[in-house]
Amino acid sequence: MTEARAITQGRSRLPEWAITGVSVAVLIVAWVVATDGGFVDDLFMPSPSSLWSGFMDLVVDGYKSRTIWEHAGLSLERVLAGFVTGAIAGTVIGLAMGYNRVVEACFSPFVEFLRPLPQLAYLVLLIVWFGIGETAQIILLFLTAFPVSAIAAMDGVKSVSRQRVQVARSLGASDWQIFRFVVFPSALPEIFTGARLAIGVVYATLIAAEIIAGSTGLGWVILDAGRFLRSDYVFVGILAIGLMGLSLDYMLVAIEHRIVHWAGRY
Amino acid sequence: MMDTPNRSRDAASFLLVRPRWLSLLSVLAAFGAWWGITTFALVPAVLLPSPAEVAAAAVDILRNGYRETTLAENIGSTLWRCGAGFLLAIVTGVPLGLAMGYWPRIRAATNYIVQFMRPLPPLSYVILLIIWIGTDNRSKIALLYITAFPIIASSAMAGVRSVSQQRVQAARALGASQWQVFRYVIWPSAMPLSFTGARIALAAAFSTVVAAELNAATDGLGWMVISASRFLRNDVIILGIILLGILGIALSALVLAIDRRVVHWRGIE
Repeated sequence: MTEARAITQGRSRLPEWAITGVSVAVLIVAWVVATDGGFVDDLFMPSPSSLWSGFMDLVVDGYKSRTIWEHAGLSLERVLAGFVTGAIAGTVIGLAMGYNRVVEACFSPFVEFLRPLPQLAYLVLLIVWFGIGETAQIILLFLTAFPVSAIAAMDGVKSVSRQRVQVARSLGASDWQIFRFVVFPSALPEIFTGARLAIGVVYATLIAAEIIAGSTGLGWVILDAGRFLRSDYVFVGILAIGLMGLSLDYMLVAIEHRIVHWAGRY
Repeated sequence: MMDTPNRSRDAASFLLVRPRWLSLLSVLAAFGAWWGITTFALVPAVLLPSPAEVAAAAVDILRNGYRETTLAENIGSTLWRCGAGFLLAIVTGVPLGLAMGYWPRIRAATNYIVQFMRPLPPLSYVILLIIWIGTDNRSKIALLYITAFPIIASSAMAGVRSVSQQRVQAARALGASQWQVFRYVIWPSAMPLSFTGARIALAAAFSTVVAAELNAATDGLGWMVISASRFLRNDVIILGIILLGILGIALSALVLAIDRRVVHWRGIE
């Protein structure tokens, strides 16, 4: 809306970043006044100072025999184990599904069934089968990442331009060469988009799994702190979870920019 | 004479031409494997009930309910929570998103909150909502609202921002009022992206509702599954998973159908 922007900017000289700054400042002031002024109980909303001391507690003393870093490390390990295995398996199957209609027809019912299924529903079954522990959680995350990656890879292959394949073929490329130099590079941007989606879902699922059936990890920390009504720990935990999720996403974007530098350029 | 080999090739290629049959075959094969594994007791019966047992559990629950709740009640309360949170998010998120797309100052004042909420795993604030609101239905609906809201608001905002400037200027030049520009240019152009956002948000709300019911609930499909796991009723768990899968597919098909009907101009601009 250039026009709308022109009108509003004509009316006031406040740039957009200043408006954002003012809005953040208002929120922080409201938070300080509400908590330190005694309008809101510390249980509902910790004050900045108690949030800070809660943070220091978690960093220095840790939570229930493990420091916050160890909990975060455990969560990260699980996310990466489930994501990497699920994304690789999903991409391989998805490439085959995009390449071959027989493979697509055989696998698509299961992929389509798994995709909208709430992940936590099969967590229960996995716990009955494998017990509460790493195995159940990593299989859960594998099953979460798998359909997302498979569908992205399949769509990627299907969106490859037919002309390019035909040109390569008429220039004498073998099947493998076509796959290696035409189909795979064209599908890679979509595969990465799928990977970003997948890591987001995997992360959300892991936190949910730790809340429901965990004994370590960031998700479990906030659940357990909530049981003891330590809302300062709960807030610190939520912030840590948010920051870790953001950094996972940034990490994938950085890898994507490095590997798929040709995305959007054809 | 010549067409005998052809005919047999046709029979083989029939399956290739009709992928639906192949899909059906592969589903049947999976059911066959399930049946085989249970019939020949390859895994302990406690861990994997047979298809017949699951069907019997379905009939039993349809008739007698599960722990004093009928199946319809459980499906109903899951759908009600999901629908209430989702509709609240539509009612508030779409106007906010449109305003954020249209007025840069509103965007500057609110966008960072929405973008902070969006990647946070919904279940991480379930504890907070329980401390704030309690364990009843309201905290679950609030959770689903918070799940769906940022997705819907950001996609409505992206929809408005994707409107071509030329169209707005053309409408202006032809003498359209502000309201007319909004009603006939911006709104229809922002609809496809808003609907895409709504579909993603509903899927997210649906997977969150089950997670929410695992924690503190007395009804709903998620509760049924977790409660069955405490009594090692694996037949009920598998029944619940199948029902949730079908419900998930049905919900996304429903929203897709509404999308096709309402936003019939999608992709043809």
